[in-house]
Amino acid sequence: MSDRLARFIAAEGGFSAVSIANMHRMAGGASREIWALDATLEKDGIRETRALVLRRDPGQHKIDTSRRAEFMVLRAAHRERVPVPEVFWLSDNPEVLGAPFFLMERVDGETIARRLLRDPEYATARKEMPAQLATILAKIHRIDAAAHDLDFLPPPGENAALTEVRRYEESFRRLALEPHPAFELAFRWLLARVPRTPRKTLVHGDYRIGNVIFGPEGVRSILDWELAHLGDPMEDVGWMCVRAWRFGNDRMPVGGLGRREDFFAAYERASGVQVDPAAARFWEVFGNLRWGIITISQARTHLDGNVKSVELASIGRRTAETELELLNLIELP
Amino acid sequence: MQDRPTAIELLEAAADFVEREIVTATSGRVQFQSRVVANVMRIVAREVASEDSMVRAEVRALADLLGREHPHVHSLADVSKAATALNEELSKRIRAGDADSGSWRTDVLKVVRAAVEDKLRVANPRYLEADLAIRGG
Repeated sequence: MSDRLARFIAAEGGFSAVSIANMHRMAGGASREIWALDATLEKDGIRETRALVLRRDPGQHKIDTSRRAEFMVLRAAHRERVPVPEVFWLSDNPEVLGAPFFLMERVDGETIARRLLRDPEYATARKEMPAQLATILAKIHRIDAAAHDLDFLPPPGENAALTEVRRYEESFRRLALEPHPAFELAFRWLLARVPRTPRKTLVHGDYRIGNVIFGPEGVRSILDWELAHLGDPMEDVGWMCVRAWRFGNDRMPVGGLGRREDFFAAYERASGVQVDPAAARFWEVFGNLRWGIITISQARTHLDGNVKSVELASIGRRTAETELELLNLIELP
Repeated sequence: MQDRPTAIELLEAAADFVEREIVTATSGRVQFQSRVVANVMRIVAREVASEDSMVRAEVRALADLLGREHPHVHSLADVSKAATALNEELSKRIRAGDADSGSWRTDVLKVVRAAVEDKLRVANPRYLEADLAIRGG
């Protein structure tokens, strides 16, 4: 694998010599392979070593995403000074490494959200991150998609909220192996409350503390842009509040770190746009439902034999967690 | 009739080994996956212990909710099939808007919540306990 990769990097980057060391698979990434490696690159007699990350599709997944789309969005975010790893080279050609992949800068830091929520060394990060995340999110929502050739991203349709609900309802009907009355109740609740969505922006699509590289001082980099699309920016705000990303710290709804009101206020300060609490709640319910459907999809990926994995299989039993949270949310006055 | 240890005891023994010996001797991805393996074994042990009574209770509650007679089925496989059929009927009624408001909605929410709580008693009892603690105040 490293030989083929070295040849690919040499050709893409115009290097006279490339050698790869310390290549190993990193933890995490239930739906994507992530490898760390150090590449020593030689050009015009100058030699430099870069710490890199390779992201590769492991096989056929139920929710299809594209490495090229993720690469392009990351590049746009980097140009607009959103803290993201710089992306270098992309391959759509399955002959190079068996599946599409790209290479990007490896940013030092921690990604394990449980450590952020519990370890003493991240006390400052815990305090700073809700406002940092709100400010960065406002910046993401200001990226001009057309100016960065991101027009190929999934469009929001007439009404972004309705489009997303219909899209996930279709996935649910196609993927679920058993009835889920709690999800049916959630779909009815959502369809009765679809917000009008006057703003249409770039939406990160998976904005949560598990997709952040952080240090003791706070946010260093925003990761996992593969679900980026065009839509209602409040979708990202609601997704930040989904219960699964609190890792048990349920008294702090925003990623286990902060209160909704404070997060909304910081977003409003950074974006100059008011957050409608009813719309944010719609997207929080939608987010929990969406995560529930993703758990079904991940279990299907295992059950259908595309990727055999005890981790994916076990996620199938997390569906009930989202069902309970949905019942809690739709029963609130 | 099988000899001791029971299925649950065998699973607990295997899960204990994974947690004490494999998780502590590994790191990174393998350590993480080993934790998942131990957790999956605990789920199966809890399911073996409680599945029968849980599915039977779910079928009774769903039949009452939908105004049907309690099905005359005996084997766990048949009870599970009845539960699926009744949940499908309930789902259809919810999609048709029958549970959008009114007193039947209250009944539906109660029955669905009880079934979801039973799933969590098997899959993640700590999640359910945390939820009850927060909602209890």
